Amino acid sequence: MASTIASRRLFHEYKLLTSQPPDGITAGPVSEDDIFLWEALIQGPDGTPFEGGIFPAELKFPKDYPLNPPSMRFLSEVWHPNVYPTGLVCISILHAPGDDPNHYEKASERWSPIQSVEKILISVMSMLAEPNDESPANIEAAKMWRERRGEFERVVREGVRRSLGVR
Amino acid sequence: MSEQQQTLSIPSLLLLAAFTALTIRYFFFTKPSATTHRSNPRTANPADVEQVATMFPQISRREIIWDLQQNGGSVAATTERILARGGLDAPPPSFQPPIPASVTPNTAGTSSGQMKPAQVDLITRYNLGSKISSPSSTPSEGIGGQGGSQTQTWSNNKNERQALLQKRREEMILNARRKLEEKERRRP
Repeated sequence: MASTIASRRLFHEYKLLTSQPPDGITAGPVSEDDIFLWEALIQGPDGTPFEGGIFPAELKFPKDYPLNPPSMRFLSEVWHPNVYPTGLVCISILHAPGDDPNHYEKASERWSPIQSVEKILISVMSMLAEPNDESPANIEAAKMWRERRGEFERVVREGVRRSLGVR
Repeated sequence: MSEQQQTLSIPSLLLLAAFTALTIRYFFFTKPSATTHRSNPRTANPADVEQVATMFPQISRREIIWDLQQNGGSVAATTERILARGGLDAPPPSFQPPIPASVTPNTAGTSSGQMKPAQVDLITRYNLGSKISSPSSTPSEGIGGQGGSQTQTWSNNKNERQALLQKRREEMILNARRKLEEKERRRP
């Protein structure tokens, strides 16, 4: 029963995201046979080293969505303080309320059923533009971002070129 | 869909069983002498160990267990320490905790988290090799022409929808590539 609610809601969100796609975002189920697995493309925000890049990510929704948030994992390399080396994205909106043992995040920033896939993707886009230094997921990237910004930006730009097959 | 739910719950059940078994083993089969000399005799909770290990795959479980035991089992404190210092103290050589044998089932359970992102470029990944216009000739026409315009995006037919989504993905990537190529060319 719960999964019917989840599929309906996901289908509805898919339709909205497709009819009125936010700038720089394309998202939908990999195949409608499994509405719980999505693939999204996020464009790197302008004015950042991620500019011009396209970053594919996979979203896995729990069967009790929207009670619990999906997990999101970049499928290409993303050198960023808040993205684990495995690609897993670590931002507050993907954390269920009461999930944060470190109390870094306010409850209002975390997942709740009034959030949406669109809000997640937009949050991830702003995360690319403005890393959160407080709880880094990639310590090396966080260190470089903090201490050697020029090198950080160069690494990111090279990644963008490589991912688009431009040498 | 219910079938899938079933298969999903089996690995998590196995995991739970593994953790329980480990906890029991930990409490009943560790030599008491190994724990008594510590200021805090609490053993690290395997779930906490896994939580930290998932966050920091580069840190060995032995170090995590040692640190958790030293600070009384606080995941927050261990996390804090790793973040602040980039690592943990090496435990004394005599400290040989039962490193979870569950490491294997666990990696299977969170396989998506453990997998490294593929290092293939987007052109290969989305099979767009044939759709790339050769960089030197007519870069801006073709796909670019339709790319900006608001064409139909939603269809009531499932297959059509799938095809439209696929097309939007491809256009987004090809557009980005074309822009980047143009930028590269403008550079002296």
